[in-house]
Amino acid sequence: MRRRPGIGGLQTHAAARDQFRLLGENVAKIRTDLMKEQLATFRSQLEDFARKHKNDIRKNPAFRSQFHEMCAKVGVDPLASNKGFWAELLGIGDFYYELGVQIVDICLATRAHNGGLINLQELCHLLRQRRKSDRGVVSEDDCLRAISKLKVLGSGFEVISVGKKKLVRSVPTELNKDHNEILELAQAQGFVTVDEVERRLSWSSGRAVDALDTLLDEGLAMIDDGHRDGKRRYWFPCVSPISSLVGVDS
Amino acid sequence: MQKLGDFKLPHFFNYPPYFTLQPVRDTREKQIQVQLWKELILDYCKTQKIFVIGLEEEFPLFTNHVIERSLTHEARATFLSALVSEGRAEWMDKGHRKCLILWHRIQDWADILIQFAKDNGLEDGVVTIEEIRSGTESQGTELHGIDRTILNRALKLLEQKGKLVVFKGASTDDEGVKFSL
Repeated sequence: MRRRPGIGGLQTHAAARDQFRLLGENVAKIRTDLMKEQLATFRSQLEDFARKHKNDIRKNPAFRSQFHEMCAKVGVDPLASNKGFWAELLGIGDFYYELGVQIVDICLATRAHNGGLINLQELCHLLRQRRKSDRGVVSEDDCLRAISKLKVLGSGFEVISVGKKKLVRSVPTELNKDHNEILELAQAQGFVTVDEVERRLSWSSGRAVDALDTLLDEGLAMIDDGHRDGKRRYWFPCVSPISSLVGVDS
Repeated sequence: MQKLGDFKLPHFFNYPPYFTLQPVRDTREKQIQVQLWKELILDYCKTQKIFVIGLEEEFPLFTNHVIERSLTHEARATFLSALVSEGRAEWMDKGHRKCLILWHRIQDWADILIQFAKDNGLEDGVVTIEEIRSGTESQGTELHGIDRTILNRALKLLEQKGKLVVFKGASTDDEGVKFSL
């Protein structure tokens, strides 16, 4: 807009700027309103979808997982509360609640053996054994969701990554990077020796022994002096396969 | 699941570290208690009717050949001592080389004896020690093949309570019991 000289010109300019600003705000509001409306439509369509596919969501873990993703995109959390539309429609709150309780149970039952750290795969396996076939398949994704809900219990329920595997921690033990690396090393054979740790990770002897001693003290490792080569082995129940498990026969 | 003859071995028996005495106190407690070594020893002895364990002898549970692990003398002594402190075993010698396993406590054995008497109409009757241990009436019962030391202890307990009298015959074979229930 061409500026006119003088006070009049300035006033016009200011007025024009105001008008533009108002227009801008309106446009923004229209866009937001539109988005809100779209979102509301999306949500109600999601509800329709959920109603229609209730059984699939209950029985099929892959389907269930994708459903959760869709919900997340729209800002809906079916697990946010145990009451309300979603819980009633799908009974999904109950499903994860029940799963959570069973997971806590299994973690407690195996704690004596593994010190409070359990392989996610193993946890799922035990979970499936416990539930048998009458409730549909439980996937690792389901376990992870149930565990994330458990976090509200505090007391350290958490999923940590060690190498390519995921471990579920049910005790407040803090694991630092050194511990993590040892656990990853142990995944190969279920145990490590001090030599191996020093060699493979290029650590000093002191560093290796410190880390292993801490893991021993926390109940995450057990020593084995019985091999005929006389070398002490540090075994980690949390990375060992299922067949060496104790106390969870269901 | 691995087996020792007929006996099903628990999973932990195949995990090498359980054959090493753990230094961390909590871990060691879990190793010994909680359905691990203590229970295993008692269960095995009960099903196999083993009454005495010699620490330096070849007791099947002390070694797992599959994983090539063996309990050290110290570990064996520690596990058995745990049983002793709970009244489920007794050392038979000062050197702690032999251990009497009470997978039934003496009181339990006494109760079993009383039941045996009732089952066989012996409330007022007489029976020899040998008959209790190997007679036809005792076949199929837990009394069959019972260790003499344990039997004597149970009999003594009942004698003190006036439930029976032990009498000696001309020879050891004639030792007998008169019940008065």
